[in-house]
Amino acid sequence: MNVLQIAIDGMLAGLVYGLVALAFVVIFRASRIVNLAQGQLVLVGAYVMGTLMSLLPLGAALAAALAASVLVGIVVERFVFRPLIGQPVFAIVMASIGLLILLQGLVQLIWGAQTRPFAQIFPEGAWRLDTLVINRRLLIGALITFAAVEALRWFFLKTRAGLRLAAVAEDHYVALSLGVSVRGATRIAWALGAFLSTVAAMILLSGNVLGLQASEIGLRALPVALLGGLESLRGALLAGLIVGLGEAFAAQYLDRLTEGAMSQIFPFLLMILVLLIRPQGLFGWKVIERL
Amino acid sequence: MSLALPSGVHFASHAEELRLLRTRPQRAALLLLFVALAVFPVVASNYLIGLAISASITLIAVVGLQITIGMAGLLNLGQSAFVGVGAFTAASLYANHGLPMLPCIVLAGLASGLVSIFFALPALRIKGLYLALTTIAAQVMFPIVVLRLPESWFGGAAGIGIDQPRLLGTAVDTPAAFYGVAVGVAALMLLLAFNLQRSHVGLVFRALRDNDIASSVLGVELGRYKIMAFFAGALFAGVAGGLYAFYIRYVTTDQFTIWLSIWYVGMLIVGGLGSPLGAVFGTLAITALQEAVHAGGTRAMNLLPALSGGTIFAMTNVLLGAAIIFMLIKEPHGLAHRWRILKTAYRIWPYPRG
Repeated sequence: MNVLQIAIDGMLAGLVYGLVALAFVVIFRASRIVNLAQGQLVLVGAYVMGTLMSLLPLGAALAAALAASVLVGIVVERFVFRPLIGQPVFAIVMASIGLLILLQGLVQLIWGAQTRPFAQIFPEGAWRLDTLVINRRLLIGALITFAAVEALRWFFLKTRAGLRLAAVAEDHYVALSLGVSVRGATRIAWALGAFLSTVAAMILLSGNVLGLQASEIGLRALPVALLGGLESLRGALLAGLIVGLGEAFAAQYLDRLTEGAMSQIFPFLLMILVLLIRPQGLFGWKVIERL
Repeated sequence: MSLALPSGVHFASHAEELRLLRTRPQRAALLLLFVALAVFPVVASNYLIGLAISASITLIAVVGLQITIGMAGLLNLGQSAFVGVGAFTAASLYANHGLPMLPCIVLAGLASGLVSIFFALPALRIKGLYLALTTIAAQVMFPIVVLRLPESWFGGAAGIGIDQPRLLGTAVDTPAAFYGVAVGVAALMLLLAFNLQRSHVGLVFRALRDNDIASSVLGVELGRYKIMAFFAGALFAGVAGGLYAFYIRYVTTDQFTIWLSIWYVGMLIVGGLGSPLGAVFGTLAITALQEAVHAGGTRAMNLLPALSGGTIFAMTNVLLGAAIIFMLIKEPHGLAHRWRILKTAYRIWPYPRG
C-alpha cells in the first residue's frame, strides 16, 4: 500500500477521534469539567438515534436525535453537575466517573447487550483519485468536523456568550463574582458536548454495527484531547490528525513485529509522552499557579 | 458509664492521640471482632465464606486506592490493571517457576508497584487530576500487552491456571482454609495502611494532597512522594491480585476490566476517601449492594427468562453510578464520616455534637 493512501486513511479516521475530542474540549472549556463519560455520551446518542431511525423517516429521526441529545446534556447538567458547582475539581471528575457507569448501565438495561445494525446515513463507497481511494463517509465526517471547529471558534472567541464561558473555565468563583452564570455555562457546555457526541456517533456508526463497545471511542479520544490541549478547539483537530496518522503508520509498519499491539497502544504511549514533555498539550493554556 | 469510648477528650500526649486503640473497651471490641472473624467459617455456608474471601481481596485493592486517592490526592482509574499485574505475576511464578505461595504474593505486590512507577512518571510534570488519564492508559494497555507477551510468561490468551495452592506445605484448597489466608492478609494490609496514614510519609501525602505548591515550598520533593503514593497503592493492588490468583486459580486478562477499576473507585467514594476505614465501609456496602442485585436479579430471571446475566451487571453499574453521584452531592466524606459523627455524638453525650 502506498504511503499517501495510508496517510489519507489515517487522517480521516483520526478526524473522528478529533470530533469526539472536540466534544470533550467544549465541555472542559465552557465549564472546567473533565468529562470522563465522553464515550458514554456517544453511546447514548447512538442508541437514541438508532431507535428513532427505526421509527421515523431519516431526516426527522436525525433532527429528533440531535434534539434529544441536547436534552440529555441539559438533564445531566441539572441533576449531576449543578449541585457540584463550587466543589473541588476532584469531586467533579469523580462525578463524571459515576455518570460513566450510570449511562453505560442504563444503555445496557434499556437496549440490551446484543449488537444491532445501524442504518446508513452517509453514502457508502469511495471516491477514486487516480490510484487513491477516499472513503466517502469519513470524508463527509471530516468536512463536518472542520465546519464544527470553525463554528465553535467563532462562538467561543467572537461572541459575548462564548467569552463568558471562557471565564467559567478559568475559575468558578471569579466567574460568579463577575456576574457570569456558571449554571448557564455548564448547561451550554453539556448541551453542546452531547450534541457533538451524537454527530460523532452518526459519522462513526453510519452503516456499521452498533454495540456497547461503541463507548470505547471515548477512551481513544482522551489522548487526542490531551495532545491538542484541553482548551484548544483547533488543537483537537490537529491532534486527531496526528494520532490518526501515527496509528495508521504503526498499523502498517510496526504491527507485524508486535502482533497488532502497536497501533492500539500508540495513542496512549503518545499521551504519556505528552504529559511528560508538554503537559498543557500543543495549544492548551499554560496556567501559572501561585500560592 | 462508658461502654466503648472515653467520655470527652483527654489525651496527655501526642503519642497517645496517635494510638489506633485508645481505650480498653476498644481493645475488647477489636478482640471480639477477631473472635467473630475466626468463628465465621465454622458457622457460615461455603457461599458466604466465598463472599467473605472476595470481599477481603477487594478490600485490599480498595485500601490501596485509598492511599493513592484519599491520602495523596492522585486519581487512579487503573487499579484493576495493577491487580491484574499482581495476579499474573503470582500465577506465573507459582505455576511456571515453582515458588512458594507467600513469596509469590509479596513479589506480585512489588511487580505491580514497579509497573505503576512507569505510569506515575508524568506526575513529575502534572497535577494529580491528570494522572487519571495515564492510569486509564495503564488500564487500556494492560490486556493488549499481556496478550502479546510470550505464552511461556503469562499464557497469552488462554491465561494461566494454578493446580493446587499450597501454603507452607499444606494445601489451602477448602474455602475455610483460604478464608484464613485472605482475611489474615487483608487485616495485615489494613494495619499497614493505618500505620502509613499516621507516619511521616502519610503526613507528607496529606500535605501534597491539600496544597502541592505549598508543600513543595516547605521542602517536599513532590515527584518523589507522588510516585511513592502510586507505588504504595499499586503494591496493595498487586497483593490483592496475588491472593485472587490463588483463590480463583485461573487468571486471564478479561477478569481485570476498566469496570472493576471504576467499581473500586466507587466503593472508596461511597465509603469515604478520608481514612482506610472508608475503604472498609465502602467495600462492605457495595459488596452487599452487589449481592442484593444478584439475588434480586436471579429471582427476576426465573420469572422473566428474557433477562440475562448482563442485566445484573448493568443494574449494578446503574446503582453504583447513582450511589457515587448521590454521595458526592450529599455526603462527600462518605459513610466513614457518618460513623465518626455517630462516635462523636456518643462520646460527648448529652451535649449536642458541635
